[in-house]
Amino acid sequence: MISLTEELTLLAVEDDGRIAYTAGSPNFAMALVGACIVDLNTAGRVDADLTGLNVLSTEPTGLAAQDRVLQVLAEGPIQTTDRWVLELQGDAPDLVRLTLAQLQQRGILHQSEKRFLWALRARRYPIDDGGKEQKEAKLRILAALLSDGLPTPHDTILIGLAVVGGLLEAFMSKSEIARLSERIAEIGGLDLVVRGVEAAIRADAEVRAHAIMLSIH
Amino acid sequence: MNVTHDTAQKTTTLHAIGRLDFEAAGGFQKDLEASVSAAAADGNAVLIDCSALEYVSSAGLRVFLVGARAAKAANVPFAVYALTASVKEVFDVSGFGRIIDVLFDRAGALEKVGRGA
Repeated sequence: MISLTEELTLLAVEDDGRIAYTAGSPNFAMALVGACIVDLNTAGRVDADLTGLNVLSTEPTGLAAQDRVLQVLAEGPIQTTDRWVLELQGDAPDLVRLTLAQLQQRGILHQSEKRFLWALRARRYPIDDGGKEQKEAKLRILAALLSDGLPTPHDTILIGLAVVGGLLEAFMSKSEIARLSERIAEIGGLDLVVRGVEAAIRADAEVRAHAIMLSIH
Repeated sequence: MNVTHDTAQKTTTLHAIGRLDFEAAGGFQKDLEASVSAAAADGNAVLIDCSALEYVSSAGLRVFLVGARAAKAANVPFAVYALTASVKEVFDVSGFGRIIDVLFDRAGALEKVGRGA
């Protein structure tokens, strides 16, 4: 099974291989960092509580993006998940690049470059495995949202991070999302790391709002 | 973390004692899943007594979701009770109160799962 980080990144790849515009947002960056932390938690490299994110082992997982995050966590102070997410969001472009490379190694997608007007280049990531992994992730999310059962921990985290990362819009209509908003709120992100990502997003938005207000006056 | 069990009033109670962190999570999950499975066969409810549970980490918290999910799928009434302040805070922050019945004490929990006196 592919990692949560890979699944989240795959959700950002559109049908034509383009990366969804929402993946350029700070929210997606923070969601991706959160996914790396959850993968490290699942692999027993870190564990989180309300006071901090603790490194349990520095043994690499073999997944480049997650191992990069692990190295930073191991070398830094103990601080809360939201502080780490805020601090690591700047690394998101590299984490995406490493994750796309991982997906390419697995044969799930490949990188292609198209030229427009002989000069402009657009990089795309067409999906190779018939879209199997991506479809599976989307179907699991939809199944969880449309049923009245409880999701697995993995799926509640995937839903929570997809919501804050602006990725549900990639495969659900606005009206569907609105209709399922209560269910999304009920079962999405039932997890301490996801709550840390949400707190980081709020804190980041407050800083940006404050900066805007200061620039006006 | 240690876990003791008892069965009374058609209810299996797991008494969680200590710290539920990554190290303890795997074992507790197996225990909880086995208890839910046995409870389903016996027509019992399942309660988790958290009065001696000092600490829950992100890894430990996921075990409660796994247990609640298994119980719901098996139609086994399920609740947790007597959360310590620190564990309650974790439940509140993560939103678990929306999907798991959390009661103040055993009497309330038994009532909730339909085993009250």
